[in-house]
Amino acid sequence: MSATTDTEGGRTIPLYWPVQANRNAGLGGLFVVVLLFAIAYGVLFPGLFTLSGFSKFTQSWFPLALVAMAQALLMLTGGISLAIGATVSLGAVIAATTMSGPLGVAGGSVVVALAGLGFGAATGLIVVKLRLPAIVVTLAGSFIVGGAALLILPRPGGAVPGWLSDLLAGNTPTAFVLLLAVALLWKLYLATPLGLGLYAAGDNPVGAYRSGVPVDAARIAAYAISGLLSTGAGLFVAAQTGSGDPVIGTAFTLNSIAAAVLGGIGFLGGQGTMRGAIAGSLLLSLMISVMFFLGFTPVAQYVAQGLIIIGAVALPQLRRLKR
Amino acid sequence: MTRASIFASASALCLGLLLSIGAGSQAEAAAKCIKGDRKAPYTIGWANIYSVPTWMKQTQGTIEAQVEELKKKGLVDKLVVTDAQGDANTQIQQIQSMIDSDVDAIILIAGSSSAPARVLADACAKGIAIINFDSLVDTDDVTAKVNTDSAQWGEQAAKFLIDSMGGKGKILVLNGPAGISVSDDRRKGAQPVLDANKDNVTVLAETNTPYNVAPAQEAVTSLLFANPEIDGILSLGGALSAGAVLALDKQGREQVPISGENARQFLELWKEKGLKSWATMQPNWLGAFATYVAVQALEGKDVPAFVKVPLPVIDNSNIDEYLARAKDFPADGYIYSPYDQALFDKLLAQQ
Repeated sequence: MSATTDTEGGRTIPLYWPVQANRNAGLGGLFVVVLLFAIAYGVLFPGLFTLSGFSKFTQSWFPLALVAMAQALLMLTGGISLAIGATVSLGAVIAATTMSGPLGVAGGSVVVALAGLGFGAATGLIVVKLRLPAIVVTLAGSFIVGGAALLILPRPGGAVPGWLSDLLAGNTPTAFVLLLAVALLWKLYLATPLGLGLYAAGDNPVGAYRSGVPVDAARIAAYAISGLLSTGAGLFVAAQTGSGDPVIGTAFTLNSIAAAVLGGIGFLGGQGTMRGAIAGSLLLSLMISVMFFLGFTPVAQYVAQGLIIIGAVALPQLRRLKR
Repeated sequence: MTRASIFASASALCLGLLLSIGAGSQAEAAAKCIKGDRKAPYTIGWANIYSVPTWMKQTQGTIEAQVEELKKKGLVDKLVVTDAQGDANTQIQQIQSMIDSDVDAIILIAGSSSAPARVLADACAKGIAIINFDSLVDTDDVTAKVNTDSAQWGEQAAKFLIDSMGGKGKILVLNGPAGISVSDDRRKGAQPVLDANKDNVTVLAETNTPYNVAPAQEAVTSLLFANPEIDGILSLGGALSAGAVLALDKQGREQVPISGENARQFLELWKEKGLKSWATMQPNWLGAFATYVAVQALEGKDVPAFVKVPLPVIDNSNIDEYLARAKDFPADGYIYSPYDQALFDKLLAQQ
């Protein structure tokens, strides 16, 4: 939120940091768990601290972080999307079919971005203007988008130029820099009227509307941006894998919800922070690598995964009960 | 013997020697991805896409058994197993972790035919032996690919069925899920045979169901009501065959010739109902074989880039041998053909 100030007894206290600390309150447990896992990973795999080791790990994490943000954005407005995975697939197949053709990387990126924005905005319009439940509209949307991805590329194939793959998913931490950039853009977006309206629209839409917040516009914009983040994740996956697969994104739908919920985003809207969702996605991604290096068997991994997720969500609640 | 013929035979001998030396040195050439800097005992990484289905569990069983055997010989010291839970992205991350932990070999069933290509290229560049089996990746950056031929499966099943119906009749075709390469490929393989017999053989209806008994039984039951006269069933999966046999049985209909797979339930029904049948399989020991090939490659042996494993066939002549071993296999599992190192060596030596 923007750095407003409040006067108290003539003294000027910057509100920014207390507000941020307050917003972090419920996330302490998650941050601790993420930190523990990061340390464990670093101990188990010292190669993480080399440039290429760090780059490879952040590349595995990056698309999940993007879709976690895409989902969190919608959940903050009181919406949800079951079409995230299909939209990722769509982004991936568009990238893999356009970029090595006459459109080139620049043209392909534009098409990917337009597809995400367009599909997102259309979903948003239907949900907001027709007042239909997001879960139903996005479920239907997932079939449409998933089908479109299969029409564009019926079998895995296509290609992304090698230099793009090397740039985004080579031995440099481009993905991490991009993630920082996206997080920064999110901060800036929150300072715009539409961004400010996002939380209000989710928390108390009627009150926000009566206070002059552009509730509908804020929600539709959230869907559009969410679509853009999802196809962007698809583009990255295409670059990472060097090709397109029409069903590559499927698992992202559930994982994006898991990351967002893990990060403290409420299903009812207006609750939670983007940093929580990003931390949630980081935990999910770290978990896979850490359990590998700990030598967990697949069955033990299933159990451990469930326990860690419950633990990370329950920790703040337990602390609250103690007080 | 004239001088000329002695000279000829001597030069032929020399030529033969030369050729055999050439072949010998070729056999010593390292396989793809192998740099020769890795020494036994090796660590094997098994990158599974999804560990839950029975077929996968049995396949992993053969891998573990093979690893135990190789451990005794001092060739392998560790097996690392990952399960991507069906997600191709997770599988890529796990293969990356295998590279990070410097395993010596990776064997994998791919979750996507394109997505793992780049990470496998990284592994290959690090001198890791990569053996890809069952679901293959479109890439040359692996040591070897190992598989049976799904199209041949469909072709042989269709040939058996048409022969056993006396060359004519009305049939049902039971397929696995639509859009899955295995079921597509099996069905495609059957088509030329059906086309060649299209004057005498009529396809009444086709189904697409998961490779499970219940949905197949349900689908066939409804087709039985619509089709009073059926002469044969071209089933392209064992659970589908079991479902069809049960459906016929429940309706009190006479059993008809049916193709199948080595699913234990189907083989038991085959014997119990005295079916006219034929079955093949995707042998679970492809996993054990892939492990064996990986170690052979690491040991400096040349291995072919693609090893086509012939489809084992089950018919009335050998079904009893299979059923005699049934108790060693899970009730919902697959009774695979016997295998040993001699078979593996023979498969590697072919072509």
